Amino acid sequence: MTINRRSPVLRAACIAFLAFIVLILTGEVAFGAPQEAPGDGDYRTMPFVGSRVFMWVVAELHLMFAAFVLAVPMFALVIEYIGYKTGDKRFDELAYDFTKLLSVSFSFTATLGALLTFGLIILYPALTDYLVKIFSWTFLPYVLLFFFEAIFLYSYYYGWGKFSPRVHLFLGLMLNIVGTAIMFIANAWLTFMNTPNGIDELGNLTSVWDAINNYIWMPINIHRLIANVAFGGAIGAAYGAYKFLGAKTDQERAHYDWMGYIGNFIAICALLPLPFAGYWLGVEIYAYDQSLGITLMGGTFSWLFIIQAVLIGNLFLAANYYLWLSMGRIAGAERYRRFIKYLLALITICFIVWATPHSLVATVEEARAMGGSHHPILNVLGVMSAKNTAVNLLILTTYVSFLLYRRANKEATVSWAKMGNLIQFSIFAVVVIFVVFLGVYGYFVDAQTRIGLSQPQVMSVLFAMVAVTVIDIFLFKNARKRGEIAWGKIPGRAQYALFFLAITFTWLMGLMGYVRAGMRQHWHVYGVIRDTSVDAYTPTLGFAGLVVSVTVIIFFLFLAIVFFLSGLSGKKNWAPKSPPPPEATTTEPLPDAEPATEPEKEPEVAGLPNPLASLLRFIRKKS
Amino acid sequence: MKHALQIFGFTILVSAFYWYVSLWVPQKRTDPPEDIVISASLTTDEMIPIGEEIVAGKGTCLTCHTMGESGTGLRFPDLGNIGAIASERVAGQSDVDYLAESMYDPNAYVVEGFVAGMPNVSRPPVALTDQEILTVIAYLQSLGGTPTVTMDTPLQWQGQAPAPTAATAPDAPPDGATVFTTYACNTCHSLDGAAGAGPTLQGIGSRQTREEVTASIREPDAILVEGFAPGVMAATLNAFGFYDNVTDAEFEALLDYLMEQ
Repeated sequence: MTINRRSPVLRAACIAFLAFIVLILTGEVAFGAPQEAPGDGDYRTMPFVGSRVFMWVVAELHLMFAAFVLAVPMFALVIEYIGYKTGDKRFDELAYDFTKLLSVSFSFTATLGALLTFGLIILYPALTDYLVKIFSWTFLPYVLLFFFEAIFLYSYYYGWGKFSPRVHLFLGLMLNIVGTAIMFIANAWLTFMNTPNGIDELGNLTSVWDAINNYIWMPINIHRLIANVAFGGAIGAAYGAYKFLGAKTDQERAHYDWMGYIGNFIAICALLPLPFAGYWLGVEIYAYDQSLGITLMGGTFSWLFIIQAVLIGNLFLAANYYLWLSMGRIAGAERYRRFIKYLLALITICFIVWATPHSLVATVEEARAMGGSHHPILNVLGVMSAKNTAVNLLILTTYVSFLLYRRANKEATVSWAKMGNLIQFSIFAVVVIFVVFLGVYGYFVDAQTRIGLSQPQVMSVLFAMVAVTVIDIFLFKNARKRGEIAWGKIPGRAQYALFFLAITFTWLMGLMGYVRAGMRQHWHVYGVIRDTSVDAYTPTLGFAGLVVSVTVIIFFLFLAIVFFLSGLSGKKNWAPKSPPPPEATTTEPLPDAEPATEPEKEPEVAGLPNPLASLLRFIRKKS
Repeated sequence: MKHALQIFGFTILVSAFYWYVSLWVPQKRTDPPEDIVISASLTTDEMIPIGEEIVAGKGTCLTCHTMGESGTGLRFPDLGNIGAIASERVAGQSDVDYLAESMYDPNAYVVEGFVAGMPNVSRPPVALTDQEILTVIAYLQSLGGTPTVTMDTPLQWQGQAPAPTAATAPDAPPDGATVFTTYACNTCHSLDGAAGAGPTLQGIGSRQTREEVTASIREPDAILVEGFAPGVMAATLNAFGFYDNVTDAEFEALLDYLMEQ
């Protein structure tokens, strides 16, 4: 029954997939031929919005859905595995709830992918021609993997409860492997455009593998893998919030509150190591071409990272706010409430420092008064030493919020509890002092040394998080419970915090997607194929922000459809309303009333389908 | 439904807020660098402003280098006084050679305290031409020193830039020599002084201005060289589809090529 109801979706996905294969194959045939049709230019124009904006929005939407489709199976599999090992059915149900979002999202991904391919072929034929020449060998494996992804995804979803747990887990594992492989191949195409490799000075292909394994291929693979999990967790949490707000029973509220919490937990856990992956990506960009790196970080796009700081600062604020609200549903958490104001103050300070620009937008008079574009005081905060310090403290503060949440309803019973707490506090104190010391020290050393200081800062924070977690696990082993977690007892604004996180994650993804492509500036393939179209210029950040905002709104519109369709699976099958009870008759007829009659018999409609019968009944009554 | 609408309104609100943040930062549109026409007959003084323009534009030098700053915060050598110190950087190397090597082979010598990493600016993506590099040298010499370089100064690295091909780069600048043969200019005009159906173009770059050569191609019969019949060139170019098909970039490339003769 479920399969029948889902079959249109399956059909749509298959059609989109077939269209995609046809496109790839026709593209290969058409572009495999060396001659170009007379009159074909390098570009064609998309009416109204222009080619670049059209491709920009479509590519972003495709990537957002693709990220979600790749991420959900990762944590769904882990959650399912936890349920399998512990025997706790709740985990299995939660994993299934996340997986329900996949099938419709997969169709959207495939359709948007086909649209993206269409767009490239039609609007950017010369660029597509060149990329096809370089990567033609990767297309067949890509299509095959896509085919397998469809098989594993639908068998994982429809096979829930139909296979033995081990077989089902295997299907989930294969889905993840195939999905990751697809992403790795697609990443090769786009990273080649930034850091082309495996070609000679004239742009001719010398090695397909080198073209794939270009400078930023693996950093992007890892960065996207982690970012996808963060993004998928945030969207999953938003789904939980959406269901929570519409829940009718306490049981539903409890379940979706838990789902929102788990989604957010996944998102924040993945967010914490993301800066380190980003750091590796940045290093590789600089290693490929210093001027490309400087364009990204210190040139045209330097102000974009102020916007990024606002976004990430908001992510941390909202994540902490959600955790603090969540503590309200835990008996025993009251004793930690007094720390929240200090944590909030620290987060706010770090946020402000991180979002402080190095140079200010000032009028001539203001610039004269400041003695330049650098503010005499703020200038000190707008540099790498201060910002790195702020970010590390921000991460550490969020971790402390998690720690407080984790131990909210627990009381350590081990004999060394006091000593354990003291050691944990000492680790935090030493690491904070170390991080701040390195930040200050950075002002007095040369650039190379200063850049190198970020590593010990990061490593010390990682050490603190790992060491404190390990101690905490042993410290609260066999802990006494102060009370239960009352799932579902959380204010509605906490759900809006989850939505805020999901929107912010999506906006951040759109912005960083823009800068990854935008740093090439007037190059389609950096240093190889120059952009000679009317869109070759790099737009203002305000314009980029508008495009990203519109993309995010479209994405959430599509997501609303996904949520709605996914929600249908929990609904009961449609059934006609039971016929109304016979109209009540009075034993004492009113003076003007007609005499009571027997309920009408409807022998003439008895054999008709129910809806029609109801309609006829209605007409007869009215007449 | 009520919640769905509230959530959607919230989404629009948050997205609009982030758009506002993006409007709050400086708004700067960055256009692609424009190609600069460099005549072979430029004097050293004329080269300086062109070099300055390239340093700030197409050369993207100021993305990394500073002008007149000092201190430990610099990531790349400051160029504010480079004209005065270029000849002292490497023993036995003139300032012109040092500056040229810094652009063609930047990692051959790296200033103490800095790390290697500057790309060869004669290669893409910067892709300065040999003539453009000469003007940049003139400008850099002028920063605290006396410019001595001319457009005729030979540099050992010149002529190493790869010839772009249409097969690999659809946007690659057209090659003037190719345009010259594609439209059969070479069937009538020689470049070595030999007689032909049309006057030889040997030394045309020094005999005529770019504007005069442009006019001669656009309206071949406006000014005729004595002894050559009118209408022949226009008819030939029409027969090869020159006036219908030649692009602006091809036309400029052809002019560049002719002015180099």
